[in-house]
Amino acid sequence: MGVLTQYQPLVLNSYIGIGSAWDLDRKNGGVTVLPPYSESSTMKWYSGTASAVYQNLNYLRQYDPEYVLILSGDHIYKMDYCQMLEFHIEKGAEATISVIEVPLKEASRFGIMNTNEKMEITEFEEKPKIPKSNLASMGIYIFNWDLLQDCLEKDNQDPLSSHDFGKDIIPTLLRKRRRLYAYPFSGYWKDVGTVQSLWEANMDLLEEECGLNIFDQSWRIYSVNPNQPPQSIGEHAVIQDSLVNEGCVVDGYIHHSVLFQGVVVDEESYIKDSVILPNTKIGKYCTIERAIITCDLPEHTEIRGYDLMEIPLVTQDNLHQWIA
Amino acid sequence: MKASLLGVIDATTYFDSMEELLTHRCLAAVPFAGRYRLIDFILSNMVNSGIESVAIFPRFQFRSLMDHLGSGKEWDLNRKRDGLFFFPSPGLEVMEEGIGSFSHFAHHMDYFDRSQQQYALISNCFTVFNMNFEPILNRFINENCDIMMISHHGQSMDMYLVKKSLLVQLIQTRKITGYRCMQDVVEDQNSRLTICLYEYEGFVKKITSIASYYQASMDVLERDNWSALFKDGQPIFTKVKDEPPTKYTKSAIVKNSIIANGCVIEGTVENSVIFRGVKIEKGTVIKNSIIMQKSQIGKDCHLNGVIVDKNGQIKNGVSLEARNGFPIVLPKGAKQGELMKS
Repeated sequence: MGVLTQYQPLVLNSYIGIGSAWDLDRKNGGVTVLPPYSESSTMKWYSGTASAVYQNLNYLRQYDPEYVLILSGDHIYKMDYCQMLEFHIEKGAEATISVIEVPLKEASRFGIMNTNEKMEITEFEEKPKIPKSNLASMGIYIFNWDLLQDCLEKDNQDPLSSHDFGKDIIPTLLRKRRRLYAYPFSGYWKDVGTVQSLWEANMDLLEEECGLNIFDQSWRIYSVNPNQPPQSIGEHAVIQDSLVNEGCVVDGYIHHSVLFQGVVVDEESYIKDSVILPNTKIGKYCTIERAIITCDLPEHTEIRGYDLMEIPLVTQDNLHQWIA
Repeated sequence: MKASLLGVIDATTYFDSMEELLTHRCLAAVPFAGRYRLIDFILSNMVNSGIESVAIFPRFQFRSLMDHLGSGKEWDLNRKRDGLFFFPSPGLEVMEEGIGSFSHFAHHMDYFDRSQQQYALISNCFTVFNMNFEPILNRFINENCDIMMISHHGQSMDMYLVKKSLLVQLIQTRKITGYRCMQDVVEDQNSRLTICLYEYEGFVKKITSIASYYQASMDVLERDNWSALFKDGQPIFTKVKDEPPTKYTKSAIVKNSIIANGCVIEGTVENSVIFRGVKIEKGTVIKNSIIMQKSQIGKDCHLNGVIVDKNGQIKNGVSLEARNGFPIVLPKGAKQGELMKS
């Protein structure tokens, strides 16, 4: 498993470590972090998803795989990739793209795959004004290794390409009439590339029937566990319709919110429809509605996200805007 | 100097007064405070004090203890040099000899002979506390002690600091001196050794009976005690499970409680300790109770003063209330309410 990183790699690098949290600290295989590197004189940043993989072809070559699975790091879903690979092999595909049905009226926000009845992809349209189908690409690809090498090398030669799988590689392969199939996935799937969607995904977890069961023992979501004590819930605390993690000390009111580990909520503070990131201390008499909080808040801070167009992301740098 | 202390944990202790919680596990592996086992406290204190070599001397039912500690990874004790050692008692003979039995140590002399450390800390496995031993070692050296006894409120904590060379000598000469354990040595009025005393002021709870287990659990609910036990910079380590956060539903009411991860709480919980992965359904009221990991409490139950051991299953509508302040204990995997249906 190779993890391609680019911007601000420190947090991710130290998070992944040697992969022990996912049982990936192995003698064979395991996990490798692949940041951009400088080649003799020029520093080559990853200019697109395809260029990131292209620049690490040597990493893939040492394994000489039959198939390569390419994934995005900012999607939330549970999927058994073995089933997708079986589909890929069964169809005799050269590349398979996982797709999910989206409401037709929202389809113009996605990359849409048009297929024949055998699920072979006939056309790919990036954010079509008038979508012909509602099968949206999930940005999950299985490639036959020889095809992947070939198309990445050719793409790299193309000065007009933006070196992106969705924008460049897939359309080129379709033009060349390669065998591309759409693997239909059903279940919860969310791209959390924006503050809004990150907030939405957290709120989704609070729904009874959100489709992403994080309590399933047979399909655990592994994570680096920070070794915090259990939650301490105070005499006057109220916590309802919420997810609260280890190390939290709660004396305030929590409604329909998600508290990460080590969050402290002092008495007389009120939190609703919000996400509080790890090790954050919320002082007394704060009111937080519909926001994502990443830093400590002093007493009497008021953040009312309902009055705002966008979900506020409160950070140390913009905190002064919220304090009177 | 930090690395000059050996950690020795006596995990052989068995208390008849805790029998109900010890049928499937040894005392060191008794669950405590929502996510820990008793041994986590002494072991974490040792690691936080810079101890790099820890020997555990188990005896009864130590499968659960082995499973919990594994290679010692969670305590950073999976090392090439030093690390975590297990020295089970080879015989089945009864050894009622107090904490740190010299005859048990004698079976594993190699550990004491081979290690480079100059001092050893010998401890019991059943004390809940968060203590740094570095200041104690400093005083031990400055005052030129042979043995230092650690006490709390004037009572022995069953923890001793000793020069390793002296410990080796005490083990080897046990048949001549008649000393069976550290306690015998410090209690000998005629001893020529320099016995020092260190009075520890912090939060200390010895778990020696169901009553003291229950009381210590209730004590940790108090925020001051919680803070004294879970200090910043001196974490209590334990075997980590990948549990999701705890889910509080719209009907949940939780007050003055300790809740671990992976729970789903639909009912009311007051003055209680809830371990990992517990499910508490709607209409149920739990007060002054301890519910251990993976237990499932059905709808409309009423529990007051109950200890539900691991994997307990309580069906809908069960009512259990402790009398005379002594908790009711439901043993591991117990099912309640089945009979009422039939």
